[in-house]
Amino acid sequence: MTSDLIPSPQPSPARGRGGLHAQRNTLFVEQAEIISHQPHAAGQYTLRLLAPQIAARAQPGSFVHLSCGAERPMRRPLSIMRADPDHGWIDILYKVMGSGTALLAQRQHGEHLDLIGPIGRPFSPDPQRSRPLLIGGGVGIPPMVFLADRMHLQPGITPLAILGSEVPFPFAAQPSRIIIPGLPAGVIAAMPLLEDWGIPSRLTSRQGYAGCFDGYVTDLARAWLDGLPAEARDEVEVFACGPHAMLEAVAALAREFSLPCQVSLEEFMACAVGGCAGCVVEITTPDGPAMKRVCVDGPVFDARQVFSTP
Amino acid sequence: MSVPMSSDDRQMLATRFCGMHLDTPLVLLSGCVGFGEEYTRINGFSNRDVGAVCLKGTTLAPRLGNPPHRVYETPMGMLNAIGLQNPGARHVVDSILPELDFTETRFIANVSGSTVEEYFEVTRIFDDSPIDAIEINISCPNVKEGGVAFGNNPDMSARVVEACRRATAKPLITKLSPNQTDIAENARRCIEAGTDGFAVINTLMGMAVDIEQRTPVIGNNQGGLSGPAIKPIALLKVHQVYQVCKAHGIPIIGQGGIVTAEDALEFIIAGASAVGIGTALFYDPLVCPKINAGIVDYLQRHGISEISQLVGSLRLNTPAPPRCD
Ligand SMILES: Cc1cc2nc3c(=O)[nH]c(=O)nc-3n(C[C@H](O)[C@H](O)[C@H](O)COP(=O)(O)OP(=O)(O)OC[C@H]3O[C@@H](n4cnc5c(N)ncnc54)[C@H](O)[C@@H]3O)c2cc1C
Ligand SMILES: Cc1cc2nc3c(=O)[nH]c(=O)nc-3n(C[C@H](O)[C@H](O)[C@H](O)COP(=O)(O)O)c2cc1C
Ligand code: FES
Repeated sequence: MTSDLIPSPQPSPARGRGGLHAQRNTLFVEQAEIISHQPHAAGQYTLRLLAPQIAARAQPGSFVHLSCGAERPMRRPLSIMRADPDHGWIDILYKVMGSGTALLAQRQHGEHLDLIGPIGRPFSPDPQRSRPLLIGGGVGIPPMVFLADRMHLQPGITPLAILGSEVPFPFAAQPSRIIIPGLPAGVIAAMPLLEDWGIPSRLTSRQGYAGCFDGYVTDLARAWLDGLPAEARDEVEVFACGPHAMLEAVAALAREFSLPCQVSLEEFMACAVGGCAGCVVEITTPDGPAMKRVCVDGPVFDARQVFSTP
Repeated sequence: MSVPMSSDDRQMLATRFCGMHLDTPLVLLSGCVGFGEEYTRINGFSNRDVGAVCLKGTTLAPRLGNPPHRVYETPMGMLNAIGLQNPGARHVVDSILPELDFTETRFIANVSGSTVEEYFEVTRIFDDSPIDAIEINISCPNVKEGGVAFGNNPDMSARVVEACRRATAKPLITKLSPNQTDIAENARRCIEAGTDGFAVINTLMGMAVDIEQRTPVIGNNQGGLSGPAIKPIALLKVHQVYQVCKAHGIPIIGQGGIVTAEDALEFIIAGASAVGIGTALFYDPLVCPKINAGIVDYLQRHGISEISQLVGSLRLNTPAPPRCD
């Protein structure tokens, strides 16, 4: 049994002593101006925030902990979807779930939001695997967009994004210009932003949306993997964020195809800096079960540690 | 952003607590700041802004703690049921304390156990360490054995304090539970048993229900309520314990829902020599320098040169006899 609250070493500007002190001053509190706040269907919103210190350091998988409003003083964790270090903005996509996000939805362009970020261990793609498969479900889509953004300029990397939603997607889907062999006919709907970056994407839903695959993200992922030659399959690495049940299915699929898989998890949070142990998940380690903090030990974990073999 | 304090401000804020010099009356509370380094991740946060930092509740053997969900926001407060997740006293002393910078602030261990012997053992391990003081947590509502089961019974509380007293000569601070009938009687017994100070109060037991699932939201079903919602209760308990303590010169760390300098001042006036900051850090990780500045401002406005002059300065109203009209 291992149980720790000991910070894990992170690649960060070291200051002072070694060990625990290496991570000092790596998170920033910013009063971020709302540059735009765009509503979409089904209570989904995109926020663009001016937060230059966070934008400069954000990585795919990292998140911010933000104050929604005075009536709900506990912060809410939300993933960073895009970060522009040059212009100092970050994008967030969120869905109204309860009182905190409902307060957030009332905040207007020009107002300021109090943010802490960028928090968490980001995704760490294996440079040897040139075919990343990005799987996002619902409001688990944002980290996949960020990952795609960082991958699209890397030579020799050819990602595929499979994005699923049971409410209308928070963007206008368009027919893809990029052909992906092995997918069922008629599955052509894509996310325009990824399309602009030259990254193929496909959408899935069980709601019958035009051009989308009728089924789960894992069904479409399986169809694609089945169609790949064995050598190509060995170059795949899976990245996923979404509802727990989806992540469990993705992890099972990855295990079946013997693919490495990194998942981004959610848990209720208080501090989001590793101080309260409020956000833990149980993971499997060589020394037995351990409780790891989603905020600073995650949110990205190796799927094999989270979902043990059935 | 932390503004460096002037030496005048520092002098006003400096406090003595159980023989320790504290740079400011603020104490970061157990369970909210891990083992002392977690919040230093935040640029602008410094342990130098507080007089002391209480480390996470520590037991003899490592504990995995409770299943999720462990935290949940409630109106002006939160529930937590962490279940004393910690790597065990030996690990804390051998691997964590050597990494802490004792020039920045005082560090206080928070000791817990399921038996009186365990409290003794853990205290003994911390006694042989650079830790500045030891807080006895007989008020944790989130573990099945020990914790609040000791804290709600004055006899048991006294036995735990006695055992810890035998294990150390370091300052001992007993953390009292609000979940009991007569906190003043308990305090009296703990003073007899040898405590040097008190922390008042720990969390109150509470519950939240998920009406869709018809289950408690918290994995442990019930949890400890903290934050502004408990402040009036905490203030009254500090006032009651202070009545017992003042004759003995035993100081109190007042806590429970302190978010602003005004909150902190209320506790000091009610009898607290130091004030704890827990849940407020979750709201604003840079809250401590703001509270320090607010206290300095208050002292200056009232021509008070040091905090000790304010401690317990509460003037009670004399209620008029009831009128029948
Ligand atoms: C690392 C991380 C990244 C996230 N990224 C996104 C994102 O990009 N977009 C998005 O829409 N949502 C995201 N979430 C989920 C989001 O934090 C919750 O939907 C939100 O906290 C709900 O708050 P509420 O007050 O509206 O809901 P309520 O149900 O009223 O919340 C009550 C309490 O439960 C907590 N809570 C409820 N559901 C969740 C949840 N799923 N995760 C964490 N805490 C929860 C809240 O923080 C709050 O303390 C993320 C969560 C985590 C942990
Ligand atoms: C997440 C969390 C964990 C806590 N863990 C401990 C603990 O391990 N030991 C302890 O004595 N008190 C613990 N407490 C209680 C606090 O130290 C403090 O007494 C209480 O929260 C009241 O202060 P506040 O309202 O300012 O938070 C914990 C509180 C919270 C919110
Ligand atoms: S939210 Fe406090 S440790 Fe993760």
